[in-house]
Amino acid sequence: MMEFLIQSVWLVPCYALIGGLLAVPWSPGIIRRTGPRPAGYVNFIMTFLAFLHSVLSLPATWHQPPQQIFIPWLNTAGLDLTIAIEVSSVSVAALVVITGINLLAQVYGFGYMEMDWGWARFYSLLGLFEAGLCALALCNSLFFSYVILEILTLGTYLLVGLWFSQPLVVTGARDAFLTKRVGDLFLLMGVLALLPLAGTWNFTELAEWAATANVDLKVITPIGLALIAGPMGKCAQFPLHLWLDEAMEGPIPSTILRNSVVVVSGAWVLIKLQPVLALSPIVMSVLVGIGAVTAVGGSLIAIAQIDIKRCLSYSVSAYMGLVFIAVGTQQDEAALLLVLTHAVAAALLVMSTGAIVWNSITQDVTLLGGLWSRRPVSGIAFIVGTLGLIGFPPLGSFWALLKLASALWETQPWLVGVIIVVNALTAFSLTREFSLVFGGKPKQMSERSPEIHWPMALPMVILLAFTLHLPLVLQSLALLPSWEMLNKDVALLLIWSSIFGCSISGVIYLGNAIAKPVRLPWKGLQDLIAYDFYTPNLYRLSIVFSVDIISKVTDIVDRFVVDGIVNLVGLISIFGGEGLKYSTSGQTQFYAFTVLLGVGLFGVLMSWQFWGDQFLDLMYSYISVILNS
Amino acid sequence: MQLQYFLLLAAAVFCIGIYGLITSRNAVRVLMSIELLLNAVNLNLMAFSNFLDPLAIKGQVFTVFVITVAAAEAAVGLAIILAIYRNRDTVDMEQFNLLKW
Repeated sequence: MMEFLIQSVWLVPCYALIGGLLAVPWSPGIIRRTGPRPAGYVNFIMTFLAFLHSVLSLPATWHQPPQQIFIPWLNTAGLDLTIAIEVSSVSVAALVVITGINLLAQVYGFGYMEMDWGWARFYSLLGLFEAGLCALALCNSLFFSYVILEILTLGTYLLVGLWFSQPLVVTGARDAFLTKRVGDLFLLMGVLALLPLAGTWNFTELAEWAATANVDLKVITPIGLALIAGPMGKCAQFPLHLWLDEAMEGPIPSTILRNSVVVVSGAWVLIKLQPVLALSPIVMSVLVGIGAVTAVGGSLIAIAQIDIKRCLSYSVSAYMGLVFIAVGTQQDEAALLLVLTHAVAAALLVMSTGAIVWNSITQDVTLLGGLWSRRPVSGIAFIVGTLGLIGFPPLGSFWALLKLASALWETQPWLVGVIIVVNALTAFSLTREFSLVFGGKPKQMSERSPEIHWPMALPMVILLAFTLHLPLVLQSLALLPSWEMLNKDVALLLIWSSIFGCSISGVIYLGNAIAKPVRLPWKGLQDLIAYDFYTPNLYRLSIVFSVDIISKVTDIVDRFVVDGIVNLVGLISIFGGEGLKYSTSGQTQFYAFTVLLGVGLFGVLMSWQFWGDQFLDLMYSYISVILNS
Repeated sequence: MQLQYFLLLAAAVFCIGIYGLITSRNAVRVLMSIELLLNAVNLNLMAFSNFLDPLAIKGQVFTVFVITVAAAEAAVGLAIILAIYRNRDTVDMEQFNLLKW
């Protein structure tokens, strides 16, 4: 039975995909009688099947060597593209997390999308997303991972653009697609360049190859940089971070998925590629650099946002930055643990803010307030999500951050500083958001804002309970780092930074001592952070501007030079005809003249060989005689 | 008295005829130029028949035919000019360009 479950684990993505396909008939205009809701229920059942399958097969993979399943796909001209599936405890655990969070997001969607007409589209896209993520978790081939990443990019575009009648949604979807495409393009270059070097795209074989490979640093460094460009786009790292913020225009249930597991898809590939990336020290330091800059910058920007959803999106970028640091310092296990704990906590936070967005009039945190008495469930969920995300013992992320930080304590202490700063800043920003939304007195916008109904509350409470129990789960699976191995100083520092961030933020935003909105003494700095370090302007001035100019120049060249040459041929023909027609003068004498001229020329031409040369000689001798005389 | 002189004379007459045919504006003068051309041809025929074929004198027979045809052609030509003149009240060759572009 267990063997069968493991052998058929490739069905998990298929369930989701079938669910997505089954939802299509409830699009408007195909099945009208039942309304769109059955699309959601069908997807829920299929996702539940997938969840059940992966949960049941998880114990069978525990403490077992990873199993490989090969499905032949394309074998031509010496190129062997076989779909490689790896069934290990890590990949099946990833399946459980993905299907579990998607299950909750779908139930949440029942409530959130209650009045929406786009259920069929929404749920079939969620199915596509889940299928892509599950396939990525199982996929053991770099090439097919790239293919799946592209499918996820398309899925992001479609999901963000669900409410396509709003212009902001359209630009958000477009930017998300294009930004990820830029990363994916570089990733494709890296993927293709890696094959002739390594001879394989299989992650396991790549790791074996990388362990003994002796490659030129000048060759492997650009390849490594290209390989991290894809995850940079996926994980919303600087400078490809803007899309995640704009993608917040999409519906919340898909945001739950995106903020918790979709951004991780890039990190997942990165973790699997880590042995290859480790071949070049430059690539590793670039990884750490990008991660550190994004982590600090993202958490700073999050503090300055006033949109409730955007506050969260930058924290996600920041935590993905920490994952980049972990991969860049070869802390794979810490990275995976961080990904898991972040996914659960971030999903809970998004659910809680989604509950507020759903039936408050505004998304602006400065206009909200005093919701604690009306929305205890959302408030508690927000608190637990916050504590789960920052380093607060005994909840999940504390252990992940601690594991990462204590591994870096001896080698790169400045990175520990980065982690602690990011932790404190995230604690500050989340507490700020909580205080502004739930603390204080109700304002005009939040006076009528009751608690949400059960389809949204239920998944939130389940996830809340899971977040609280995550340490117990981790402990029972022996995933917690052992206490003796850990660095107590780091633990204390982490706890203090969390307390520090939370309490300062609480004092500022809950108390009345400081006037709100809070003004920094340096307005320039505040604007810099609030406007995302002016990255959108920078892009507009550099890339958007230059692409605009280049396309205009190309257009001019195309219009005037290329088209011009072709049109010139036509024009020459027209004017040639127009000009030549005047030779048809209607004068009989002119015709007679031309006929005689033609016949004369023809005669000269035909008889030239009989007298021409002698004629020329004669002419030449006459001319020379004249010239000499 | 050699063949070449006759031939050169005939060619000169022919050229004058061509010049007149192309440049004259009066239609009657065009007809007269055509007569010059035919006469140049007749001179050629006569010269060749005298110098190269004095026994069979096929050239002289040809010449008789050419004179006959020339007379017929002149009659038809003058008739055409008269017909045009009745319609258009002129014999200026440059006015007869109805079939231009």
